[in-house]
Amino acid sequence: MPKCTINGKEIEVKDGTTIMEAFYQKEVPIAHYCYHPGLSIAGVCRLCMVEIEGMPRTQIACNTKITEGMKISNVSDKAKDSVKWALDFHLINHPLDCPICDQAGECGLQEQYMHFGKYEPEMGQGKVKKRKVVDLGERVVLDTERCILCSRCVRFTDEVSKTNELGIFNRGDRSEVGTFQDKPLNNNYSVNTVDICPVGALTAKDFRFKQRVWLLKNRESICTGCSTGCNVNVYFNKGGVYRLKPKYNSDVNGHWMCDKGRDTYKHLNVEARLTKGKKTEEGKTTECDAGELAKQTAQLIEKIKKEGGGDSIGLIVTAQYSNEEYAAMFELFKIKLGSNNVFYWINNQKTFEAFDGLLYRGDKNPNTKGLLRALSKCKFDQTWDKLEEKIKAKQLKIVVVLGPENQEVYPDISEKLKLLNSVDNVVWLTTNQVLGTELLKSCWQIPVKSTIEKSGTYINFKGLEQKIKPVTNIVSGALTLTEAAALFAGDEIPFDSKTPVKGERVWNEFFHHRGDL
Amino acid sequence: MSLVKKDAAIDRWFLPGIIAGLFFTIKKMLANIFNRKSMPTLNYPEEKFEYSPRFKGTHILTVKKDGSLRCTACMLCATACPAECINIVAAEHDDPVVEKYPVKYEIDILRCVFCGMCEEACPVDAVRLGPEWQIPGVNGSNFIYDIRFLAYRPALKGGIPSTVEDEERHQAGI
Repeated sequence: MPKCTINGKEIEVKDGTTIMEAFYQKEVPIAHYCYHPGLSIAGVCRLCMVEIEGMPRTQIACNTKITEGMKISNVSDKAKDSVKWALDFHLINHPLDCPICDQAGECGLQEQYMHFGKYEPEMGQGKVKKRKVVDLGERVVLDTERCILCSRCVRFTDEVSKTNELGIFNRGDRSEVGTFQDKPLNNNYSVNTVDICPVGALTAKDFRFKQRVWLLKNRESICTGCSTGCNVNVYFNKGGVYRLKPKYNSDVNGHWMCDKGRDTYKHLNVEARLTKGKKTEEGKTTECDAGELAKQTAQLIEKIKKEGGGDSIGLIVTAQYSNEEYAAMFELFKIKLGSNNVFYWINNQKTFEAFDGLLYRGDKNPNTKGLLRALSKCKFDQTWDKLEEKIKAKQLKIVVVLGPENQEVYPDISEKLKLLNSVDNVVWLTTNQVLGTELLKSCWQIPVKSTIEKSGTYINFKGLEQKIKPVTNIVSGALTLTEAAALFAGDEIPFDSKTPVKGERVWNEFFHHRGDL
Repeated sequence: MSLVKKDAAIDRWFLPGIIAGLFFTIKKMLANIFNRKSMPTLNYPEEKFEYSPRFKGTHILTVKKDGSLRCTACMLCATACPAECINIVAAEHDDPVVEKYPVKYEIDILRCVFCGMCEEACPVDAVRLGPEWQIPGVNGSNFIYDIRFLAYRPALKGGIPSTVEDEERHQAGI
């Protein structure tokens, strides 16, 4: 356990720790582009220069191991001076198109540039012009001019995704990052290269020019694309959610997330959402408030229960809701309604165990483990065949469906709708509009809140419980399943629970982004 | 001590006051009749006041030499705007050198406070506050100015050229 001093403060680190890791551990800011904690060390950017007492020249922090009694400083004049000159070399060929560049606002180069204030370039020669807006497949756009050749993206495709598409071509100031003959970068982890790019050389097509990053706010949540449950930062403003970025969690996803998971924000935005309750009866559709529709459902359930007992009420569940919501719904069915008809709708049983070796799993539900736990706790063990039997025998008068939030991963929706066609009343709780419900005899669609609008616990594939908090409010009229269960039972929900969360207020750009500028 | 001043003897007579007032009015009237240039008022719709060229009036979006918009949709004006009256939607341009351009640039002129922060923030001299100040409209007129009005309204005679030219910058190697 060597001891060393960082900027005058003495710390103790493990054997073999590099200076950069020590800076990370102590959260001391240090400039760096090529170092990334999830990748190997390249030592090419020369920006993490530190002065070590006793050494004649400054050293790079990322590739120097700490030895006993080292005295390190990155704030001394000598260290600052070498960083300043390293920065000047980076800026020789970097174009000044920050107004256009999508990275502006979260750009490493911009930050250091502002920090060291090298406003006057000391290079007499003009900049080397390279190719701009190179299309690298489905998701990524490359601008070779902006690249500072830190090789983070190259190392990512070599080491993490192991697809080896990217490389650095040519020599000297003509060096360019790119793929061989501009072949597309079409692996499922390609947008991670955009995240780790310290400048705007790699940009995501999906987010490109949609919004400036300083107008966005971010909060933590989890990705609902599959059962891995990657930790994400949700970037949003009053216009909705714009992108998801991975958040470091060593137990779940490390530094990365997959491209398919990044698309899951699209069904959260208001354009895709069901904003009002929809009553479809005999081909006619009327709209009403979610709460109102839930109360009408409560009356209907009560009526049916009186006529045919609890067993004429059925519940179909998908594994896309939180534990708390399952608990509330199951309690309603088991205790208050006295029904045992709870059926688990599995979307893709054949590919459930599939895994791509990194993050992406075949089970495309965020909370399969949580649902199974809740089902076994309540001793609901009826299978889907039983449901089909009961529907055919006309034993079920009303079926409540906790529909999937991410409908793309449920390709069998239309099939299931055909099955439900012979049920008299279908109550479908859903975040998004369900296509094909107008074919049903009677279908009431109640809008519910999506993952990012509620708090709850999700259990991922290996049984790790992840608690999430609401990120933002998109459809304010929607209910959580807990609220819906209370309304179905005939209770009133207190007014407080309808407002997002205490202390949370509607996102107001005027109050927030000005402080960050 | 009383705060109420006792009227002086002369104030109790109102005729001297009226005469003094009339004398002043007649003096000004005669001065205006015989020396019209010193008159401070204007016959408004026919005569208009000329403000300084630095006057901050209705916005102008400048154009490049080829007549397309200079704006790169960097949103700095919208960020700097204290009234939050600028709404920009950016899009990808076909030309990789231009790369980004605004498909929508709207200024809600009723919210605008004419502070000129957008002009200050603009890195490419794309938005300016022009000399025009007569922007009335009756009920129902469109007070949300779009690109067509801001850059190509008849008063601008085909667009005001920007001082920042991309080609020159490229040649200079910036």
